[in-house]
Amino acid sequence: MLGTRFPIHNKRLVGLLILLIFSLLIVSCGGTTQESTSEDVAQPAEAETSGSAEVESAEEPSAPAVDGGTLRVAMQPIVNIDPIAISSDSEVLVANHVYDYLIDIDAQSKIVPRLATKWSTADGGLTYVFQLADGVKWHDGSDFSAADVVWTFERLRSTEGTPTADLYNNIASIEQTGDLEVTFKLSEPNSFFLYDLSDNHALILKEGTEDAHTNFNGTGPFKVENYSPEDRISLVANEDYFIEGQPKLDGIDIIFFNDDSAAVDALTGGQIDLAMRMPTALFQTLEETPGIRTFSIPTNGFDLVRLRSDREPGNNPLVIQALKLATDREAIFNVVQQGYGALGNDTPIGPLYGDYFDPSIAPLERDVETARALLADAGYDENNPLSLTLHTPDTGGRPDLAAVLKEQWAEAGVEIEISVEPESVYYGDDGWLEVDLGITGWGSRPYPQFYLDTMLVSDAKWNESHFSDEEFDQLAAEAAKTLDDGRRVSLYRQMERILVDRGPILVPYFFAQFAAINDQFTGLDLKAFAGRTDLREVGLSGS
Amino acid sequence: MTVTQSSSPANSGVAPGRGRRLLSSFRVLFDRPVTAFGTSIFLLFLFLAVAGPWLAPYGSNEQIYSDARQPPSLAHWFGTDQLGRDVFSRILYGSREVLFEAGLGTLMALFLGMTLGLIAGYRRGWIDELLMRFFDSLLALPALLLALLLLGTIGRSRYSVLIVIVIVYTPIIARVARSVVLSVREKAFVEAAQIQGESSLHIMFREILPSVMPALTVEGALRFSYAIFLVASLGFLGVGVQPPSPNWGLLVSEARPHAAQLPWSLFFPAAAIALVVIGVNLMADGIKRILMGER
Amino acid sequence: MSDSPPVLDITSLTVAYENEDVWQTAVRDLDLRIEAGQTYGLVGESGSGKTTVALAVMRYLGSSGRIVSGSILFNGLDMVALKEEELRGVWGKEIALVPQNPQSALNPSMRVGEQIAEILRRHAGLDRREAMARAEELLCMVRVPDPQRVLHSYTHQISGGMQQRVLIAMALSTEPALLILDEPTTGLDVTTQAAILDLFREITAERQTAVLYVTHNLGVVSALCDRVAVLYAGELVEDARVGELFHFPYHPYTEGLLDSIPQIGQKKTEAILHAIPGQIPPLGERLEVCVFAPRCALAIEECSTQRPDLETAASDHQVRCYRWREISRGEITTHQSAPDLIPVQSPGDGETVLLTEDLKVYYGLRRSLTEMLRRQPGRVVKAVDGVDLTLGKARTLGIVGESGSGKTTLARAVVGLAEKTDGEIQLLDMQLPAGLSSRTLDTLRHVQYVFQNPDDALNPHMTIGQTLQRPFISLLGMSSKEAAGQVSEMLRIVRLPKSYADRYPNQLSGGEKQRVAIARAFATSPDLLIADEPVSALDVSVQASILNLLNDLQNETRNSLILISHDLAVVGYLADQVAVMYLGQIMEISDAARIFEAPMHPYTEALLAAIPTIDPDSAVSHQEPLQGDVPSQIDPPSGCPFHPRCPRDLGDICRTEEPVWQENEFGDRIYCHIPLGELQSVQQMLKEA
Repeated sequence: MLGTRFPIHNKRLVGLLILLIFSLLIVSCGGTTQESTSEDVAQPAEAETSGSAEVESAEEPSAPAVDGGTLRVAMQPIVNIDPIAISSDSEVLVANHVYDYLIDIDAQSKIVPRLATKWSTADGGLTYVFQLADGVKWHDGSDFSAADVVWTFERLRSTEGTPTADLYNNIASIEQTGDLEVTFKLSEPNSFFLYDLSDNHALILKEGTEDAHTNFNGTGPFKVENYSPEDRISLVANEDYFIEGQPKLDGIDIIFFNDDSAAVDALTGGQIDLAMRMPTALFQTLEETPGIRTFSIPTNGFDLVRLRSDREPGNNPLVIQALKLATDREAIFNVVQQGYGALGNDTPIGPLYGDYFDPSIAPLERDVETARALLADAGYDENNPLSLTLHTPDTGGRPDLAAVLKEQWAEAGVEIEISVEPESVYYGDDGWLEVDLGITGWGSRPYPQFYLDTMLVSDAKWNESHFSDEEFDQLAAEAAKTLDDGRRVSLYRQMERILVDRGPILVPYFFAQFAAINDQFTGLDLKAFAGRTDLREVGLSGS
Repeated sequence: MTVTQSSSPANSGVAPGRGRRLLSSFRVLFDRPVTAFGTSIFLLFLFLAVAGPWLAPYGSNEQIYSDARQPPSLAHWFGTDQLGRDVFSRILYGSREVLFEAGLGTLMALFLGMTLGLIAGYRRGWIDELLMRFFDSLLALPALLLALLLLGTIGRSRYSVLIVIVIVYTPIIARVARSVVLSVREKAFVEAAQIQGESSLHIMFREILPSVMPALTVEGALRFSYAIFLVASLGFLGVGVQPPSPNWGLLVSEARPHAAQLPWSLFFPAAAIALVVIGVNLMADGIKRILMGER
Repeated sequence: MSDSPPVLDITSLTVAYENEDVWQTAVRDLDLRIEAGQTYGLVGESGSGKTTVALAVMRYLGSSGRIVSGSILFNGLDMVALKEEELRGVWGKEIALVPQNPQSALNPSMRVGEQIAEILRRHAGLDRREAMARAEELLCMVRVPDPQRVLHSYTHQISGGMQQRVLIAMALSTEPALLILDEPTTGLDVTTQAAILDLFREITAERQTAVLYVTHNLGVVSALCDRVAVLYAGELVEDARVGELFHFPYHPYTEGLLDSIPQIGQKKTEAILHAIPGQIPPLGERLEVCVFAPRCALAIEECSTQRPDLETAASDHQVRCYRWREISRGEITTHQSAPDLIPVQSPGDGETVLLTEDLKVYYGLRRSLTEMLRRQPGRVVKAVDGVDLTLGKARTLGIVGESGSGKTTLARAVVGLAEKTDGEIQLLDMQLPAGLSSRTLDTLRHVQYVFQNPDDALNPHMTIGQTLQRPFISLLGMSSKEAAGQVSEMLRIVRLPKSYADRYPNQLSGGEKQRVAIARAFATSPDLLIADEPVSALDVSVQASILNLLNDLQNETRNSLILISHDLAVVGYLADQVAVMYLGQIMEISDAARIFEAPMHPYTEALLAAIPTIDPDSAVSHQEPLQGDVPSQIDPPSGCPFHPRCPRDLGDICRTEEPVWQENEFGDRIYCHIPLGELQSVQQMLKEA
């Protein structure tokens, strides 16, 4: 009687209520799968990085770093630590501190000395001579010499199937021309040869190293003390490092985290000191967390929205123009990127490239009316609307970008159907190169030629928009070869103008790269490719 | 009137058929507080689903950038998401999708399952064996897993999710129908019909089916609640739906990265899912009490 | 009457049940006294409250029942006041119950021996070994052959009759003072029932146990009980010694009840059965007046205004009626309302309607794994094992037999629900194929069927009208309009009001539903109607009207009728010819008039002897009740199927050779080795004795 009336009799109700409460708790505490910054697993990018236009700069000009301390860094687990095979942020970070590059690239994309102290070119850019630092020792105590450099680069360029084999295929010869001197001879001039020499893989190994994979014998500021693949790799300062005063830290512990949100939690909880990958939302929270200093720098990486221009409807310039006019880049930048990074102007050459970037090219103002008119001229109206499927991988801010574009373009009468796909599907079977309309993420590179050569010239390997413009091709070819910096600047600026006028691509923004460090430490030099971040000058804050 | 009573499903608690009596039994749905709660929830969401487009203050994908990331307020009852979309409106539009897709799918599964269950239960023999073994193998998989496998095979189209719901739920409905048929087919009135030369079709659908209806209705209502959850789950996994669909599951999944800062964009869709599923489930319970008698 | 206090003393007992928040009285103001050694019958139909009384005595009513008022004293102990722990001391030990359905009363997961032992250990404090020994003794006492085997069997491994004996053994194990039996022989074969009744008589006499025997079967009461109380709609209407009640009933209901039950030897040609019109009022509709008044032919105004008291008519004869005096003096009687109608029966004109030749229906059992591995052929159930029948136009054939006799299977084979394995069935001039699906619609409309259970026979989701229309539409090809027009006529034929066409089956009583089923069967005016136990599921007072109806309809339409029943009296009343079946074969087929007076086949004799009659003066049969149980149809005995149990078994010949058909001068046939002449002379002897 009474027992049958009260809902306790209804176990299902109680069960479902409990389930509801639990699920709410779990879901709201949980981390995320979608990050607005994430690794582009796809071929074009090694690591996607982002940066903000307002550079909260890498260095606080206040108290100088004090010696000491062990910095605990959260990174994704490392797979392959042989420099010839490294690719991820964490692998590069480890290698970058156990070994040295011949020359380094700084946060402003400038070439700076490292193992090589001076260099000169000759023969119209066909010969490069490098002077090496003196008194450098390997961790095992032996002396460093030019032979090591030669051996390293020979290995890099001759090992089959490595990215560097391709990269260095225009090197004619490498010679040891002195105890501390190396000479490179090229078969063709290469404006960016120095950048190529500072490729992520180009860490110098001791001549004859057999098992670089397990035998960590470098010249770098830190030595490997202990490596447990499931947990962390512990580095200890190299007392005999060839640069005075470096490193400041006693040691670095690189602790492996699979989940970026967990890393952020560990940072706020004090279990780690530095995190360099996190979703925008969490970064914003960290900005308000006391005891944590946050950094965000602009990068050259971007999301590319491209329309295939070799067939209908993209082959109609009116259509391209209409879509560009219907886009509100500033709104996108604010809403999707939260204002971090930099605003884009439909070219892959961003503000971080310094002079290459032409600030005078006015960004397109949004004009829906004109867009409609252009489409009408092209034959599209209410009864026959322009209708496309927008393909996008499911990572980063791209799905949100797609949703925003759909809405913005709808006002111009364009009907978009979104197709969010896992990266394996989007990039699988080179489908991304075939679709009419897609969004692709491109990672940051130190020089823009890479994008031109791989994405925009007529026969480019990854020309997803099938852009083919003779004038553009000529300019790009010349820019690749010319050694005249001024000429190069002019060429790039001309190409930018072409792209803005008639390029079938939309670049709404450039990414930001985030980092957050416990303010006990100072001296962090964050780079667009996080793995290349230099920790040599990081030390305790001292106060 | 005689006091003869029988508690078999064929002689269910409600005297069958008359419209007026059915209406009064509909009122029974509001008898107990628990059932009334469930039925009210369902009716409310049904109303929202039907009237959604007229009630919603904003469009489903309407992005007002200046209003982005706002907590609940008078202008936006449930707040806005990271792209400036009104969460309340999205939930309204989403209710259409979720309820109609789940509802239509369940109805189709009911028809298909009922027919197959009738045939299997009445004809027996090899067709029964074949169908039941096939259904057993489908039932061995958890619904969500089966749904994912099917979607992987069917691919993405407008009707994929609908087809999936039908395939996932037909087996259990067929099972229920079949079990009732098995008990009813032994009854004298079925034999009497056979003796009168009625065709198998007539016997299945006019003699036996009315006895199956109560159990099927109950099962259908229950499956409906699970179907809603399945549609939301698939949306959450991003399978079979594309942004900017206001599918509640997709809303939850899109809100997860922003959960710390925009908790309302996560809470309301999740609460909607839970509320509707529980509500329909409770209503199904009430229906069961009406049709199958008090236990 | 003894001087010691009664074992059970019930005074003014009123019991009510809760139904949807309303309490409805099920038993009102009952007085009953049972002495030691006395067997008291409590008789009533469904809804009379007799089971409620039994449960109330045990205080076993459940949460929805309540003793509203009155007292129950058991050996002076106030049962109503006892608490549960105290009750547990009484249950099973002092008062024992033998319930109706032995299958469900026994624990299926325990061996029989353990179950009996459990009681002994609990109540008598015996240890395991002692208890098992005592259990064996008990089984012997209840005449279980091979008690060791039974002790170690599980419930499902022993037959129904055996199970009931086990329950009796369990009930008696603690030598209770009061034994309550609730329809303990329902569902048992007649022969088994006879043996069990004998057992009761013996045991209770020996131990002076007080027995409360709840049943609807007046014959059993007559055979077993000393006194009987008649319950109607929860009230005690008459209470007397058995002989007195059956010879001189004072209450109109008792009178009517006795009249409506066909007796062995009663024939349709002599008089119609007298049914009691109307039906028992349901709980909640019983008012403070004479509860029988609405159905009583002798009711006067007083009866409908005030409830009569229980009056003492003579020493130990009590009756609750205003007019009992007139009835006792013979001035009025319920018989008298209408002159006896002897229905006109013209003899059939010899045309053969049904002919079966060596009809066999075998079912193959699925082979078990062991059988398959051993390559044994599957076992076969020989439900019908070679039956020859002839039935003429407008004639009625009654088929009797116990469980396993194959009578129902035979009927189903004729109509097509069971597929014959071998043999011929000829209906009119058509050879009937085995299954329904092979038969044409034209064939089907000539033979129709009335089922046993009227609750199941009508589709609960169709109105009566819709149900009745179906045969017209499917078998006679009418349109639904035309069919609808036929419905009123069909209802009229079976004496139901036209308005019933819009009702649903659950709004009709059992008797009314059976009428509808009969109407449906008659829709196509079949040449042959098969009625399988048409009245067994109905209340006694309603049976008569259905039997009358079948008779009337046969007179009008001149159809042939096959009537199947386990109730010999019913068959005897309606049939012209009776066939007695045993284990799938016919043992005897004779004229109905003669078969009960001078049965010839030993099995027929045994059947007749086993039936308890309502004539308490009739001499107790000299015959020992039939021993053993009906053997299984899978492995029937060789030779004559009856030989293991036959009291006149001739020895080897009966075991090795199949009997032959012998025919007497009247055309009666029997299937036996004993020469006809011998059998007849034995009959003569018995009659004279």
